[in-house]
Amino acid sequence: MAAANDYIRGIAMGKEDLVSNNPLRALGLEKEDGNDGRRVGLVMARAGLGKTAILVQIAMDSMLRENKVLHVAIGEGLEKTKTWYDDILSLMNHQDKSVGSYQQIVDEVMQNRMIMTFKENSFSVATLEERMEDLAQQGIFKADCLVVDGFDFAGADSAADLGELKSFMKQNDLKMIWFSAVSHRDDNRVSANGVPAPCHEMDDIFDTVLLISPEKDEIRLKTLKCSAACSVDAGKSLSLDPATMLIKKA
Amino acid sequence: MSVDLSNVRNIGISAHIDSGKTTLTERILFYTNRIHAIHDVRGKDGVGAKMDSMELERERGITIQSAATYCNWKGNNINIIDTPGHVDFTVEVERALRVLDGAVLILCSVGGVQSQSITVNRQMDRYNVPRISFINKCDRTGANPERVTRQLQDKLGLNAHMLQLPIGLENDLAGVVDLVTMKALYFDGDNGEIIREEEIPAELQDAADAKREELLDAVSMFSDDLMEAMLEETEITSDMVKAAVRAGTLALEFSPVFIGSAYKNKAVQPLLDAVEYYLPCPTDVENIGLDLNKNEEEFPVSNNDDDPLVMLAFKLEDGRYGQLTYVRTYQGRLTKGDTIYNVRTGKKVKVGRLVRMHSDDMEDIDSCGSGDIVALFGVDCASGDTFTDGKITCSMSSMHIPEPVISLAILPVDNKAQINMSKALNRFTKEDPTFKTFVDHETNETIISGMGELHLEVYVERMKREYNAEVEVGAPQVAYRETISARAEFNYTHKKQTGGSGQFGRVAGYMEPLEEGEYEFEDKIVGGAIPREFISSCDKGFAKSLAKGTLCGSPVTGVRCVINDGAFHAVDSSDVAFQLAAAGAFREGYAKAKPKIMEPIMKVAVEGPSEFQGSVMGSINQRRGMIIGTTEEGNYTVVEAEVPLSEMFGYSTALRSLTQGKAEFTMEFASFKPVPKSVSEELVKKYQDERKEK
Repeated sequence: MAAANDYIRGIAMGKEDLVSNNPLRALGLEKEDGNDGRRVGLVMARAGLGKTAILVQIAMDSMLRENKVLHVAIGEGLEKTKTWYDDILSLMNHQDKSVGSYQQIVDEVMQNRMIMTFKENSFSVATLEERMEDLAQQGIFKADCLVVDGFDFAGADSAADLGELKSFMKQNDLKMIWFSAVSHRDDNRVSANGVPAPCHEMDDIFDTVLLISPEKDEIRLKTLKCSAACSVDAGKSLSLDPATMLIKKA
Repeated sequence: MSVDLSNVRNIGISAHIDSGKTTLTERILFYTNRIHAIHDVRGKDGVGAKMDSMELERERGITIQSAATYCNWKGNNINIIDTPGHVDFTVEVERALRVLDGAVLILCSVGGVQSQSITVNRQMDRYNVPRISFINKCDRTGANPERVTRQLQDKLGLNAHMLQLPIGLENDLAGVVDLVTMKALYFDGDNGEIIREEEIPAELQDAADAKREELLDAVSMFSDDLMEAMLEETEITSDMVKAAVRAGTLALEFSPVFIGSAYKNKAVQPLLDAVEYYLPCPTDVENIGLDLNKNEEEFPVSNNDDDPLVMLAFKLEDGRYGQLTYVRTYQGRLTKGDTIYNVRTGKKVKVGRLVRMHSDDMEDIDSCGSGDIVALFGVDCASGDTFTDGKITCSMSSMHIPEPVISLAILPVDNKAQINMSKALNRFTKEDPTFKTFVDHETNETIISGMGELHLEVYVERMKREYNAEVEVGAPQVAYRETISARAEFNYTHKKQTGGSGQFGRVAGYMEPLEEGEYEFEDKIVGGAIPREFISSCDKGFAKSLAKGTLCGSPVTGVRCVINDGAFHAVDSSDVAFQLAAAGAFREGYAKAKPKIMEPIMKVAVEGPSEFQGSVMGSINQRRGMIIGTTEEGNYTVVEAEVPLSEMFGYSTALRSLTQGKAEFTMEFASFKPVPKSVSEELVKKYQDERKEK
């Protein structure tokens, strides 16, 4: 029995290591701060720079901290989204040699994740809320965190949808919602905080805004807006390993 | 006589069940003059399709064994393997893909990309098989080939583009517009055998122009000529487009999509043209052999008739005339009367009869060359064996064989059935590596195991029909496994002195979990604590112990046994004594090594209308399933989950009643995972109760 407990402790240690060594700690994600103790985050970048990779790392960190994460992928397939998680967890494990029984951690952590994929024209906030409520009512999956990849911020109803999601967040006791958004090189509009279009007019909705920015030989993860729990000052940055897209301490 | 390999195509036809691939094959055989009348799968004439040669296949309307056939289209020799559509028979699909150079993926224009298509596509990826798609059943209500093409892009990740546009759909399907030649094709005559080429109907011209533009954009990157012509706005010839599509397809970076209705005899001939234009000939693909003289170093086989012979036996059949072995020749030439060597067994065999198969008919041939798929008579071997002419010692790479996940106890009803059953089992295990059988010595029952309920059901039926072996069948049982999760030491002495010569042996060491593989034995004995001649006895003793674990009597896997000490007696030690000592040591170590029961987990995909999503997820949740995710498209949703096999019995009935019969599911083996504690306790108790009863 003692040995079995050691074994379980080993897995827990592996997860703790992955959490404590994660550079995302600099963003104070574990403190669940923000408005009313909740956080709405946004990752922005031009197309193809790795927004999904960042969202998956944020989601994974949350899952390792025993939160249930619902990953909503709009316009992306289930298999592809799942592969992101497999790849990122395998890379994180590779980097952190202290992690013990990898497969057990994978099996355990993945129980904290559910993926919902929608075709662009099938997605609506109302449908998402309906699905989430159904899952919670049946006791199948009660999300603590929501990750929405591929939300159309340029759409006419985006501000209303975000407002709706924020109130849903409160009603359903969600700790975090993270979005991704595509910025465009030829659109120079920015908010006072430096949040690019198409989110420049709604940056007050977000507690944290990260911008992936390629610079010379490296890719920076700039913190355009950050809540009090951040140890990275607004305007400063973490960096990304260009080969793996894993977040590094700058 | 040497055949020009550029005119040879070895293709497979793979698809989701009921997408009409056997019907399509039937039409192909008709248009290539191999058969002279068309019989449908479930036709009223009761003849059944040509390729469904097993009685059972004809009855159920599904293809179980892949039959090989050959046809000639416009001077090209096409070898076709018709592969099964049901997931339980994927080993047949996999075996076919292993020896084929290209494949046609058949999809239903209404059902689209279904879960089985995803499985088949994954298998094609594994073997780097270039593929073209045929969206069949465009005459059906709800046909939407554009939607299916988008699904090919989204769900399968293929760079799929339509090379044809339908002229009308559903009941109005009249023909297709060829976007390469920009002509409309109609199919006249009783069986669509007369192709009428016309100008594109005016109302479709704009759509055809736009689609062609899209197609050219997609394929231009595979041909400098085409790219240049597009940039310079000079004439773009059909040959340029074909060359670009072919280059992209062979590089697995483009997947052309064709449409039609095999049942209504529409647009099958253009698909045959596409097989010629876009799928590879044997020299276009690189097949790898393993040189056994050079420590299994990989080498590309040459496809040259003048080089030493290398052939792979990929399928066995017990036909009317004895064992028939399907082989694919990778290099060299085989002539009737030649002697060939089975690389695995080292045995020489003389090839008495060489035939080209056409489902269950055959034609005798004198020789075959590189790239050919033929069948041999009277050659005793197992599926997957490599044959050479003795001048080269190599093996073709091994095939991926999944582990069986379900088993059934079978009991012959009388003596005659017992004898016939043995014959049948001997044959089936040789033919199908996923079908296994053994006798449980405790219950004296014969156990058969395989990949699913249908898989085993079909073999039981075949036993009755083909071998006249009536058997009683027990309830399906999940094939559990046992393994250990910690290192544990053992030190066991086997001592027996009850008159006569005694038995003595002591075995000490440890066992530990093995990450990959089933069992490993390591000898770390120094100083002769156990004499050399008894080391293999220890290995045998451990290996025998793996057959039945102590928790639920299931086979033990993932164990590494290391011996580092022991003792022997000059007179009383023997092979048997050390085998028994190792078995005792195993029991001792196993109890301390935190053994656990593992169960097969299946990847389940349930497809149905979105309104039932909640009920479907609830039903999976009730079955200890873990929902991976959902894909919602319009009012149709696919729920993917991992569910223990033991919970899936009877799911089809439950799903039908939950969804008014509107949802369907497929499942395939994913992995073995530890069972939860409560289930483990139940299984252990059940096993102990059974033992007490005996």
